[in-house]
Amino acid sequence: MSTGGNWHPVGLSYSIEAGSSAGTRLFGQELVVWRDTSGMAHVWEDRCPHRGMKLSFGFVRGDHIACLYHGWQYDRAGYCQYIPAHPDLEVPKTFKVPVYLAQEQGGMIWTTLSENPPPLPVDRDQTVPLRSLYLDCSAGAAIAGLGMVRLMPFASGALADTIVHRLTDTLYAVSTGDDRLLIGIQAISDTRTALHLAICGSPKLYEGFGQSHFLDWALQLRRAIEQPSPQALAARGAAAEMN
Amino acid sequence: MSALVLFNYELDESCYKVRLALSLLGLDWQPVAVDVFPGKEHLTPPFLAMNPAGRLPILRDGDLVLHGTEAILAYVARAHDPSGKWLPPDGAGFAMVMQWLNFSARDLGITIAARQHSLFDTPGDETALRAASSQAIRIMDDHMTARGFARAEWFAAGHATIADIALFPAFALSRDFGIDHDEYPALRRWARRFRALPGFKTMPGKCK
Repeated sequence: MSTGGNWHPVGLSYSIEAGSSAGTRLFGQELVVWRDTSGMAHVWEDRCPHRGMKLSFGFVRGDHIACLYHGWQYDRAGYCQYIPAHPDLEVPKTFKVPVYLAQEQGGMIWTTLSENPPPLPVDRDQTVPLRSLYLDCSAGAAIAGLGMVRLMPFASGALADTIVHRLTDTLYAVSTGDDRLLIGIQAISDTRTALHLAICGSPKLYEGFGQSHFLDWALQLRRAIEQPSPQALAARGAAAEMN
Repeated sequence: MSALVLFNYELDESCYKVRLALSLLGLDWQPVAVDVFPGKEHLTPPFLAMNPAGRLPILRDGDLVLHGTEAILAYVARAHDPSGKWLPPDGAGFAMVMQWLNFSARDLGITIAARQHSLFDTPGDETALRAASSQAIRIMDDHMTARGFARAEWFAAGHATIADIALFPAFALSRDFGIDHDEYPALRRWARRFRALPGFKTMPGKCK
């Protein structure tokens, strides 16, 4: 997987509530994902330029994020607007946090480390959040494991094959019959990967029981990837050879 | 009249659980500061007379002297919360609270060891402590993910109970022992709700 021009998911939209922040990593680079109180999501370098404190330890105040150490506040564009120790200071424009593009689609927050990324593929499907899985393996190994656990149908009820689809380098889908899960692939580092799972379909159909139904699959998948059986390992080896 | 006395060490997360409970229940109480570090006052004869195991917190309510964090939480809820919400009286509600108090006492003990190792340099293998701690915290995140799909926002009931109080510090203070909140979205949501409870108090440190 290339690190360059791609869009990468960094969390489920649902997991970052308005007025909250969380840290994450992409290819080892530390990022803060935060949502201002108006609901807009932001992805920045996770480092206050003042003393290097993680901004994800800080607090969202309206459309600003404030560092936990000394309360320096940054606006949506990453510019420092207020320093509590010097309340009357006109803050120089050089006090700025590097800001990355952020978009939301398929129930996930996406970012890119590129300044000229291709457009994020448009997907108008409604989604219902499932959960994120954090795994001690490479993105490639996690992708190779996606078909390890059979997906049981929810909407149609009729048994069908479990099919893994590659939509982009960083977005896969696993489907059975009428049911389809979107799986965003986040390469946290070479040895750590997050899978962000969302159910395609309406909240009316999937919220509650549908989410619980697919949560079982997600936990089985995590178990299978973390503690693969000899058969599963052999199957993965065979699949890797075919690719 | 303030009958409740807490023998307290500010940096002890088990004492913090009791401080939280007393504050969330809106009770009058008095702290007695104990010089645990570096003084080891909790291991002196007067304290060993109250708790031979040599641990805080210790709570005194009139003639009653109690040790053991979970017992103290249960006592405070049963004796001083007329609403019964913090320790539900019905069988299933009571048992769910006990299940998570037990998890807190047993499985989360490792997080206390990890934090003490990190802050006070007590003995321990840092890598092993951290791995076991993140495993325990992940069990909590899995539980709250499933609870969310059942539209339940708290660990053991439809409202906060002493189970949430017992579990909160291990997560809120996890950065003290090198475990970030990045990978526990369901606990982040729960902790935000917890911090919004009337009477919530923070702990010294990176409490978030």
